[in-house]
Amino acid sequence: MSRWSRFTLRSIVALMLALGCTTASAQSYPTKPIRLVVPYPAGGPLDIMARAIGQKLTEAWNQPVLIDNRAGAGGNIGADLVAKSAADGYTLLMGAVATHAINPTLYGKIPYDPVKDFTPVALVAQVPNILVVNPSVPARSVRELIELARERPGYLNYGSGSTGSTGHLAGELFKTMAGVQMVHIPYKGGAPAMADLLSGQVQLMFDNLANALPNVKAGRLRALAVTTLARAPAMPDLPTIAESGLPGFDLTTWFGVMVPAGTPPEIVTRLNAEIVRALNATDMRERLQKMGTEPPANNTPEHFAAFIRTEATKYAKVVKDSGARVD
Amino acid sequence: MEFDLIHNLGIGFGVALSWQNLMYCFFGVVLGTLIGVLPGIGPVATIAMLLPVTFNLSPISALIMLAGIYYGAQYGGSTTAILVNIPGESSSVITCLDGYAMARQGRAGPALAIAAIGSFFAGCVATVVIALFAPPLAEVALKFGPAEYFSLMILGLVGATVLAHGSLVKAIAMTLLGLLLGLIGTDVNSGIARFSFGLPELSDGIGFVIVAMGVFGFAEIITNLEQGESRDVFVNKVTGLMPTWKDLKDSSGAILRGTALGSMLGILPGGGALLSSFAAYTLEKKIGDTSMFGKGEIRGVAAPESANNAGAQTSFIPLLTLGIPSNPVMALMIGAMMIQGIAPGPQVMTERPELFWGMIASMWIGNLMLVILNLPLIGIWVKLLTVPYRLLYPSILLFCCVGVYSLSNAPFDVMLTAVFGLLGYIFVKLECEPAPLILGFILGPLMEENLRRAMLLSRGDATVFFTKPISGVLLGMAIVLLLITLAPTVRKTREVAFQE
Repeated sequence: MSRWSRFTLRSIVALMLALGCTTASAQSYPTKPIRLVVPYPAGGPLDIMARAIGQKLTEAWNQPVLIDNRAGAGGNIGADLVAKSAADGYTLLMGAVATHAINPTLYGKIPYDPVKDFTPVALVAQVPNILVVNPSVPARSVRELIELARERPGYLNYGSGSTGSTGHLAGELFKTMAGVQMVHIPYKGGAPAMADLLSGQVQLMFDNLANALPNVKAGRLRALAVTTLARAPAMPDLPTIAESGLPGFDLTTWFGVMVPAGTPPEIVTRLNAEIVRALNATDMRERLQKMGTEPPANNTPEHFAAFIRTEATKYAKVVKDSGARVD
Repeated sequence: MEFDLIHNLGIGFGVALSWQNLMYCFFGVVLGTLIGVLPGIGPVATIAMLLPVTFNLSPISALIMLAGIYYGAQYGGSTTAILVNIPGESSSVITCLDGYAMARQGRAGPALAIAAIGSFFAGCVATVVIALFAPPLAEVALKFGPAEYFSLMILGLVGATVLAHGSLVKAIAMTLLGLLLGLIGTDVNSGIARFSFGLPELSDGIGFVIVAMGVFGFAEIITNLEQGESRDVFVNKVTGLMPTWKDLKDSSGAILRGTALGSMLGILPGGGALLSSFAAYTLEKKIGDTSMFGKGEIRGVAAPESANNAGAQTSFIPLLTLGIPSNPVMALMIGAMMIQGIAPGPQVMTERPELFWGMIASMWIGNLMLVILNLPLIGIWVKLLTVPYRLLYPSILLFCCVGVYSLSNAPFDVMLTAVFGLLGYIFVKLECEPAPLILGFILGPLMEENLRRAMLLSRGDATVFFTKPISGVLLGMAIVLLLITLAPTVRKTREVAFQE
């Protein structure tokens, strides 16, 4: 046997083995621990949901799901890590509105392609923000707030957790649509911004519902409206901004599981089915309810992909209009 | 009111003294002590990893355990600071100064003991403070807006000049270098990355633990190895493990003052707890006989250790009363509460009294467990010093690297710590103290952030810093302190007192 034919034989054997492995891995997936990358520090709603889902997948598949917090650069570091990982279904990303809709425009250039480098698996949650004001602000509705901003230009400050966050962009969208002036006060995270809102240093904030709700209930903050198109199930009496004079106003903070592009479709399907099942479990429904939302309807990879595309287009415009830019 | 308090504490102890909650409390404080002792592995990584475990616990057991980890780590964190000059937690940086000096004189035992006793006392007092005054104190914390924070930081920075034992010029230079290092990272207002050289890893700035571990710990290891194996002073001169009556008498005032300062600063959600140990040390160095500071003054261990534990405890106040986390650990506690379906905020106290008071009671029990646990351990820790360098240092370096890596799972951070270790070695050679650098590094970004925020809110009117009463008083105190430091007669005594 010549060297070449021996080589060919070996290659064929190797190829067959490799193919065998791939088929086997798709059928018996998962056969080893799975890593779920969270591109933010531990402790936020996204991290908490990632851990809860990880726990459910672990129970269902008897393979540990490890949460890997890779914070930094507005989520870009973690997202980039997954974009460049093996597409074998063992590295997942908890992607978010920031990493896949806001940052591409906000940062100008990012190290990954939010569309080409990822295959969306399932949306996990779409959390509404609510517009809350310090009780010292006389406005009791969105209309009154807009009037107030017109009468007293330069009076209103709105806080946010960071430049380019949904809280910031909601404020910018509000300013553009209502044609009013407010000053954006950015903080390092939502907590100090909330402290200054409670003390009246800043007058209003577009904060996520779960975070603001306790202080609304205690009367330390007044909720004026919710930023989503539909009312939030957790606060059915709270009007939307869209129905309060700014039709079409619609912003949510969302996050969902994604895998690197090229991951075998069978694995994507399996992951999607198990995550959707996890989200519909009683305890998970309760958790989502606390966050002001419910398990996303029609949660297929295709829907999620389409949703991301719509969101990216929407935020590209909002970010550009706001003039925010990070280079 | 008083009846209410006793009634409430009754509920609290009823909850905390159930055998299973005692067990979780014990597990929490033991684990906390362990991760505190291991340099770099902090409570944040530990609590994050344990979060899924808490899904299946009752809310109160989960919170008792997690809180135990947090204050247990405060106890343990001082151990490595004293024994090997490696601060695992931001709060124990200051303990390195005199604690390590004491260890070098063979007095590691008393240093560790006084740290534990001071922490216990502070923990007890702070627990009572939370029980009695949590809601009104939360209101005080809210009085601190951007202008007030800025003025507080100014006061802290002026106070920092006393942190140095050597040349004042070098201390100022190191503070400025710290300020510059603190500028690295994303600018809060514009969102633009500064001095990051296009590296995404630098876009959120350099972690505190990285700098502290590098310039204190790694640099110390390099320096020691340079001198060869000559640790006779460490090992042979060990003069008793427990503090003498004189030690206790000397440090009692420092413990009281540290506790008071820590309890006050801990309630500020914007990094107050972080400042408390620095503030307490600064205060001690301004009163009484100051000739021994930096050379193994026991008050230099007692004050910051009491302050950081009191601060750690009272930092629960903004969390429990307003739902505002004052540090990353508290943010995780909020996550743990949300998972249990509890929305942290003003209603926790009224709607779930068993949770609020149970946690307070468990803090006291946990502190008692910690002091009982830690005092007998001192003998074992001190024996660690007799381990030969060739075994001790590689293992410390290994744990440090694991710890730094666990901060954000980034190999880059480990490399950066090594760079700071080298830098720290150069500082040792140049006889520049690292403590002012650390303080500048912590205060710089906070000052800038609050200055710009205050100016944004006042629409560019700089007089707010003087017209707001709290801010004005703080700035006034800073000016007075500056004048005292700069006054020629005082400077003369300062030189006599601090030059080696």
